[in-house]
Amino acid sequence: MTKPLSIRNITAHYGQTKVLEDLSLDIGEGELVSLLGASGCGKTTTLRLVAGFLQPTSGTITLGGKDLTRLPAHQRDIGLVFQNYALFPHLSVADNVGFGLKQRGVSGADKTKRVNAMLERVGLAHLAERLPGALSGGQKQRVALARALVIEPQLLMFDEPLSNLDAKLRVDMRVEIRQLQRANGTTSVYVTHDQEEAFSISDRVAIMHAGKIMQLDTPENLYQRPANAFVARFVGFENLVSMKVVARDGAQVTAEAAGGVKLTLGLEHFGEIPDAFVLACRADGLSVTDNMAVEGIPTTLGLRTYLGRAYQYQSETAAGTLVANGPLSRPLEPGSAAKLVPVPDQCTILAME
Amino acid sequence: MMPTKLHPALIGFTVLVFIFLVGPLVIVVGSALSDTTYLTFPPQGLSLRWFQNIFEIDAFRRTILTSLQVAVISTFVALIIGIPASYAMSRYRIQLPRWLSTLFILPVLVPELVLGFSLLKNLAFQFNAPIYLSLIIGHTILILPYVIRVISASLASFDFSIEEAAISLGSPPLKTFFTVLLPNVRSGVIAAFILAFITSVNDVSISIFLTGPGISTLPIQLLAHMEQFFDPTVASVSVMLMVLTVAVMAIVERTLGLTFLAK
Amino acid sequence: MKRLAGWTLASPATLLVLLGLVAPVAATIYTTFGTPGGPLATYQAFFASGFRRTVLLRTINVSLIVTVIALVIGFITAYVVSRAPGWLKSILIVAAVFPLLTGVVVRSFAWLIILGKNGILNSSLINLGIISEPLQMLYTQGSVIVAMVYLFVPLMVLTLVGVLEAIPDDLIQASASLGANSWATFTQVILPLAVPGLIVGAVLVFTGSFTSYATPQLLGGEQVMMMGTLMYQQAMVTFDWVSASTIAAIMVVITIAIVAAMNAAARRLNPMTV
Repeated sequence: MTKPLSIRNITAHYGQTKVLEDLSLDIGEGELVSLLGASGCGKTTTLRLVAGFLQPTSGTITLGGKDLTRLPAHQRDIGLVFQNYALFPHLSVADNVGFGLKQRGVSGADKTKRVNAMLERVGLAHLAERLPGALSGGQKQRVALARALVIEPQLLMFDEPLSNLDAKLRVDMRVEIRQLQRANGTTSVYVTHDQEEAFSISDRVAIMHAGKIMQLDTPENLYQRPANAFVARFVGFENLVSMKVVARDGAQVTAEAAGGVKLTLGLEHFGEIPDAFVLACRADGLSVTDNMAVEGIPTTLGLRTYLGRAYQYQSETAAGTLVANGPLSRPLEPGSAAKLVPVPDQCTILAME
Repeated sequence: MMPTKLHPALIGFTVLVFIFLVGPLVIVVGSALSDTTYLTFPPQGLSLRWFQNIFEIDAFRRTILTSLQVAVISTFVALIIGIPASYAMSRYRIQLPRWLSTLFILPVLVPELVLGFSLLKNLAFQFNAPIYLSLIIGHTILILPYVIRVISASLASFDFSIEEAAISLGSPPLKTFFTVLLPNVRSGVIAAFILAFITSVNDVSISIFLTGPGISTLPIQLLAHMEQFFDPTVASVSVMLMVLTVAVMAIVERTLGLTFLAK
Repeated sequence: MKRLAGWTLASPATLLVLLGLVAPVAATIYTTFGTPGGPLATYQAFFASGFRRTVLLRTINVSLIVTVIALVIGFITAYVVSRAPGWLKSILIVAAVFPLLTGVVVRSFAWLIILGKNGILNSSLINLGIISEPLQMLYTQGSVIVAMVYLFVPLMVLTLVGVLEAIPDDLIQASASLGANSWATFTQVILPLAVPGLIVGAVLVFTGSFTSYATPQLLGGEQVMMMGTLMYQQAMVTFDWVSASTIAAIMVVITIAIVAAMNAAARRLNPMTV
């Protein structure tokens, strides 16, 4: 049955280049964890290390308590779904799905039964005798999924499985993958560079950068409470403003940014506020107003772009260029003076790094 | 980091295969350096006298020249007619019939001996065409498929809209061909030249019919020499040809990179 | 307009192949049917001669043996080369290309030195005390086969390295992830995917052996005559051009038939093109 995966202090090199540094990651039984990041962040390397296609320089990988680190790939019992599907072009759909069973000594009626049942589940029973070359992208991906699931692996891993599909199919397929994974309760690792895909499909997401995990958390927490500037930018907090607390008054804190701008922040929303911190706001988290009487960051508006639901302004402030949204009802002219008012729901507090 | 685990027996086998591939050529080099009047290996004493001997034998001097001449002329002719043909087949693929590409691989399919014999019988003999001309025609046809295949391969990755861009900027079509297209398939032209040249220099099966007392190529002269003498001259000529091959490979490496050779 | 431009550019090469290859070869084949004894008389004469039948069968036999040996050696070697690390792979490929670019005469000559009466092999065997008299190795079918294998292994290796490198790594990894050990991956994934390449390699080697001249001439001589050497002898020694043309026609028909058949087979067996 399915097992928890534990990656402990893995360091890996390509030649002289260090690609993973002291990486640790625990994935619980039946959990789906995504590795999310730009290309070169080490997410695919992590997957290949777990699969056994690469050897780490140091560290261990265990699956259900069994040490996999030095085990050859074919003995690891891990189901893999590849970006390019990696279907055997010379074998029919049924033979592709049956390939892993054949290696496990399952044959005859038993094999046929399990292959057919799996093809039924992914809705491809009618294509069993086709060669992969005759299938569409979505069908190929389903065959790849069926092939990885039918061996009832202890761990399932996905390497950007949807990146070759068109947008509509991508959404359908990720629902399908999530449903199959839930139904089987298979521990899963899902590698992707698509934030929406990772957040929608995962129990937890590990955001990776330069060979390290920057934050591992639930999608909700990542989106609302990023732990550091990198993750904050990654999930769309475009504006980062360094601030210092100048006064504390019960549930209110007054903080000062560069240029002497003072803002009052409520503890009920932001929780603990350290003496020095970074205020992180999405574009929607800085509301543009020409009412100069309110508390806010004074700015000179720059380029205005139309977003459909709002106007967005490149805003010059003493704390640098910020991106802020203003209402459609009151378009403001570039060059005019305005104030940027933080919207607590769309802002968060980060520790100074 | 990538594990490439190969069974030791496979590796051992491959080592033996490469000894088999390279060993005989090493033996030829060794024999060429011998100072004995008969072929031996390992050489009994080192000397370069057999290299000198090549140039003292008139037949070798003449055939080396003929071989180089034939190779240069037929390679240039093959390039001059092969490049436009490859271009036409890439650019006007839809407008030209499909049998044309089959026609251009025919010289590979038809046995060289048959081509050589047919040129002798139906060109040189029938129409009294000069042997030298027939030889050049034979070599040009022999190497034409190599030229067309290599040039076509490099044209396959050429974006013809670049050519249209040049024309839209006011460059006349013929000038565009020389200033835009040719420089972009330069590596293909070099590769085609080298392959064609080497193929021509090494050819036996066509040349054997189109040479005679007055005119002969180096490989044919080598065959004739071997039937009468068993001295290290042939080995020294072989070494000379190998040096030519090394030079050719060095040019390929310099201009195209060694990976080219693997294609 | 475009059609005209295409034809104009392609016409010199087209004319050269039509007039320099198709016409003369067709004329050669045509003359074999116009003999006084009837349209097929020359072929009847060819197959009536025990000697010529033997030569034809020997040529087929030698070519088949060479093809099979070159396939086995070439495939194993290409497999190892394709899996070698980058720098070693380059060296091995150079080591395979070098003999290929060295002419057939030089390569056959090397075996003349090795297999000769006073050649390296004989003298080594005598020095080792394994034999006391030099063995007759030259001018045997064996010497022709060895030299031809030597001639064609590089071609096979390079062809198959290309084929094996074209198999995506993903498929090998998919196979391993599904539990296949390296032998199972080799037999169930790599070998089936290499079949079209093996067919192409086999055709190249078989037709090359079948129509070769220099190697059987040097290492087989009169004793091990093959179609190529027989044709040369008929044409240039006995000047029986009708007989030489008949042999030429047989070579053309067999070569083109094999290429066509294996082309069809390769296309049908190639899953990548489906």
